Amino acid sequence: MSKSKDKAWFALFTVPLLFIFTTVVLIPFIIGIVYSFVNWDGIPANPKVFVGFDNYVQLFQDERFLSSAWHTVQFTLLALVCVNILGLAFALLVTTKLRSRNAARTMFFMPNLIGGLILGYIWQFIFTDAFSFLGEKTGFDSVFFNWLLHPQFALYAIVAVFTWQLAGYTMIIYIAGIQGIPDELMEAAKVDGANLWQRLKSIVFPLLMPSFTICLFLTLSGAFKIYDVNLSLTKGGPSNATEMFAMNIFNEIFAYGNYGLGQAKAIIFFLIVAGLTLTQVIITKRREVQM
Amino acid sequence: MKKVKRVFSILTATALVATLAACGGTSDKDSGAASGGDGGDKLKKITLFQSKVEITEPLEALVKTYKEETGNEVEVWGAAGDAYSQQLVAKLSSNQGPTIFSVAPGPESEKLKSYFSDLSGEEYVKNIAPDMELKVDDKTVGVPYGVEGFGLVYNKDLVDPANMKDLDSFTKTLEQLKADGKNGLSLSQEAYFLIGHIINTPFALQSDPLAFIDQLNKGEVKMADTKEFQEWAKFMDVIKANTKNPLEVKYDSQMGDFATEKTAMVHQGNWSYSMLADFGDFGSKVGMMPFPLAGNDKIAVGVASYWVVNNQADAEEVKAANAFLNWLFTSDSGKKAIVDDFKFIPALTNIEAGDLDPLSQAVHEATTKGETITWALNYFPSGIITNDLAPATQEYFMNPGMTGEQFLQKLDEVWAKASK
Repeated sequence: MSKSKDKAWFALFTVPLLFIFTTVVLIPFIIGIVYSFVNWDGIPANPKVFVGFDNYVQLFQDERFLSSAWHTVQFTLLALVCVNILGLAFALLVTTKLRSRNAARTMFFMPNLIGGLILGYIWQFIFTDAFSFLGEKTGFDSVFFNWLLHPQFALYAIVAVFTWQLAGYTMIIYIAGIQGIPDELMEAAKVDGANLWQRLKSIVFPLLMPSFTICLFLTLSGAFKIYDVNLSLTKGGPSNATEMFAMNIFNEIFAYGNYGLGQAKAIIFFLIVAGLTLTQVIITKRREVQM
Repeated sequence: MKKVKRVFSILTATALVATLAACGGTSDKDSGAASGGDGGDKLKKITLFQSKVEITEPLEALVKTYKEETGNEVEVWGAAGDAYSQQLVAKLSSNQGPTIFSVAPGPESEKLKSYFSDLSGEEYVKNIAPDMELKVDDKTVGVPYGVEGFGLVYNKDLVDPANMKDLDSFTKTLEQLKADGKNGLSLSQEAYFLIGHIINTPFALQSDPLAFIDQLNKGEVKMADTKEFQEWAKFMDVIKANTKNPLEVKYDSQMGDFATEKTAMVHQGNWSYSMLADFGDFGSKVGMMPFPLAGNDKIAVGVASYWVVNNQADAEEVKAANAFLNWLFTSDSGKKAIVDDFKFIPALTNIEAGDLDPLSQAVHEATTKGETITWALNYFPSGIITNDLAPATQEYFMNPGMTGEQFLQKLDEVWAKASK
């Protein structure tokens, strides 16, 4: 009796989700794999020509795709470091006896509540107008110029906005992790005369490993898949210097109308993201210590 | 009291039944009437999707008038500039396409032609000016919005067209303006306003622009080896050396600076007057002149978009769409809206050009005199302006060391890749 009741509850909560997952993720994904083997311009009335693995061969000769891959790798590495260092620093800061810690938490988390598109447009204004203005007024025009017009700095600009958006979110996860560390451990260490850095290195970081796993996974996959900030801040410009994976795929499919090639790129993209995040989770999981 | 209630409920019930019956009756009559549309029959609600941001508001107002006059409903979907065709394709391929939509001539309409209804039999298409309709296999499938033209829009107080006849005088004018603290000529960062329109001139000056584009696609010719392009590159060098970096200028600020006389000239079309009008009356101050490349003395005039009817919509909707277009192009309110509110230069013979603004007037005059060059850019490979030419141009304007010659080579390079 209770078993069947359990099953009913289980079904009630999972079946709708499974249904949605199947219809909007699984089935389109499988259809997408099929499309990656055809040459098609996306208009239902126009012919689909089966071309085998041609699309996969072609995409490795597509310089623009390869350079977008390189931008994505650069961006992801930078974002990974910035978001997590800043998130962890925020978390350490707001778990001290700081008087304004609650206000600080709110402030740090706030940017996460704003959508990426809007953040991008706001920062576009800051980089374009405010930066040029500051540069003119203060004379520091080697730092304050329109970042979005410089190929390398435009990438840094996206990193900055992405960090601004995500650091508060990772902070929350790190706070939870820090609060899970027993006070006795820290006090014992203090009594034994361990300084702050020793306490961090030998107690806090090892015990924070589960939080690292989650945060690294979130930033890694989020940075790889970035599209909204990329679109609203730079549109991939100047001259494609900040075109990331997702944007390249979108352009291939919707701007050039190469559905087959674009799908092939998307499959490769999926494999890369899945591979990288899985590796990362396995590695960090292994380093988690049990108390 | 009870009685009243009962009577009331009976009345309501009767009314309900009557309404239901009436509904059934109407639909019967609908299917019975062969070529309906006259009388008070309500047509099915249709949707309309179009690319011109400038006319969104007047179009919505017009649709309201249409509802007041005929009782039929049209829903207008908004789209923003460059992304229009992507959104359109996405909507069409998911079978949620609009009933009426707009397409640009050239590769875009070629790609979507299987969606076009045959409009040949409709009343309103008989008024389209010669050679202005969109045709597929000798059937008329699209009605032009109107003609449009672009060139150098200039402020008469700051620039004299007589000093803008060739590269030399163009250079002198820009240098003089720069010395006076004015921005001589402004392009803006949007793909078409950055490169699409300005590169049209060397194409249009070829003896056969379409054949030239074809040869370019096949790699038989190069822009860098063609005389008009070489001169065009020199013009671009002059612009780059003497004006504000267009990558820092948006369409809004471009027109704003022009209206406030910080900028003397903009490379724009007659559509931009609607934005100027927001700044006050410029009637006597602005004019449009040709881009003086290789002695060119003509304005580029063409049809930017056509209205077409989606043949995937059901028959009722197609009928309603035709009724709407017919109303738009033949009724007084519709015709008035086209010239007065949309500010279009009509491409239909039954519509008199209204009070044209000075820019449209220039285009209209050029058209009637036949002094125009074509919009070769309509026949560029699909998407090439936003995806390939614009990034190359950004690089040119961003990199101070890049010369016009290198720019041309870069354009050749990206063209070859895009047309592959």
